[in-house]
Amino acid sequence: MYPQKLDKIINLFEMLPEDERRETLVSYADNAKKQEPREGENFDLVDVRKDEECMDTVGVYLHVDEDGKAQIRMTLGPEVQTLTRSMTAILCKGLEGSTPQEILDLASDFVTRIVGAELVRIRSQTIYYVLTRIKSVCKVYLDRQRMAQVA
Amino acid sequence: MATHPTQYAHPEALVETDWLEKHLNDEGVRIVESNEDILLYDTGHIPGAVHIDWRADLQDPVIRDYISPEKFARLCSRYGITPETTCIFYGDKANWWACYALWAFRLFGHEKVKILNGGRDKWKAEQRPMTREVPKYPETNYPVPKKRFDKEIRAFFDEALEQSKSDKPLIDVRSPGEYKGEITHMPEYPQEGVLRGGHIPGAKSMPWKTATNEDATFKPADELAKIYLDQCGVKPGTDTVVYCRIGERSSHTWFVLTYLLGLENVRNYDGSWTEWGNKVGAPIEKNA
Repeated sequence: MYPQKLDKIINLFEMLPEDERRETLVSYADNAKKQEPREGENFDLVDVRKDEECMDTVGVYLHVDEDGKAQIRMTLGPEVQTLTRSMTAILCKGLEGSTPQEILDLASDFVTRIVGAELVRIRSQTIYYVLTRIKSVCKVYLDRQRMAQVA
Repeated sequence: MATHPTQYAHPEALVETDWLEKHLNDEGVRIVESNEDILLYDTGHIPGAVHIDWRADLQDPVIRDYISPEKFARLCSRYGITPETTCIFYGDKANWWACYALWAFRLFGHEKVKILNGGRDKWKAEQRPMTREVPKYPETNYPVPKKRFDKEIRAFFDEALEQSKSDKPLIDVRSPGEYKGEITHMPEYPQEGVLRGGHIPGAKSMPWKTATNEDATFKPADELAKIYLDQCGVKPGTDTVVYCRIGERSSHTWFVLTYLLGLENVRNYDGSWTEWGNKVGAPIEKNA
């Protein structure tokens, strides 16, 4: 089971022929900038770094509201590749309203259903990066929550 | 010290952005974009350009090798290319993948090939026209190449080993860290399964990007000559082998040596470090 918003996105991509799938990925990539933090927003956790696996700096900003629902914002450096931009927009939208634990428990198999077998085959090393970064922030957030409870 | 050339040996192998903008619709010309970023072409490209992906279109999906001559002929036919078509390659990363695609076209004997100097980066920086419209060309019937020019421009493991043993020019175009064996993949790239770090014994280190200017264009002929003839010890008339990790960065250097410096007998060892670093019995050097 996937979060409802993500499930809708997965279903949309699975219905598309390859050329439209690519167009839709590019369209999401075009909108990745909309996922940047907005003025006045506060975050529980911020993780901005440049990893060996990625061409440029990627920032993940997590806010968890009083109902325990997550909102993720992201910043991407100019050298970040298009597919990573697409996954950023898809995941920020698709995971909105999920809890950090739900995000952490998410199986990663849906990524290939969105990106498609052909792109996975030829660029398999780049497609999981954004999900891994988001999960990593959620894990740190949950660990800190647990430690705070113990203390 | 030898006098260095002041002109490229084959200036006709390069076109400038200004020239290309004026010749976008020339008959007999096909503009080919080839990138590392798999979706970059879809985000916008030079009007009329077709997209060739180094992996999906040029590599065999099962055997570690290039596509068959039949598949190459089908690829060209699909994009309306004939043996008489001048293919102008360009792409991201200072034309690194464009040079790889050009090299693959030469492997199948396609002779009319050029590089857009400065590639996609320069074209975009100069705010020249881009489009998302994917062009359609009438399909051609490109004849199946009778041979692949492996012997002429490609080196295999045994030949690279022989090159090393006989002390002939061997250029490692990877980053200094990869050459020294400190890392086994390029910075910013994922680990791609090499057991040992280092370089082929006797190889000189000259990262591929040394050949380019800040704006992704190629350096002038005399500077290139200083880099490759003086610093790497490449001599006209002597066999030279270039390599990197999978043969992509080294095809950029192969283009520089072959077309800009006019050296003959330059071969690209595309098995490169992912083969050599894993090969049983292959000697390596570290930290030289």
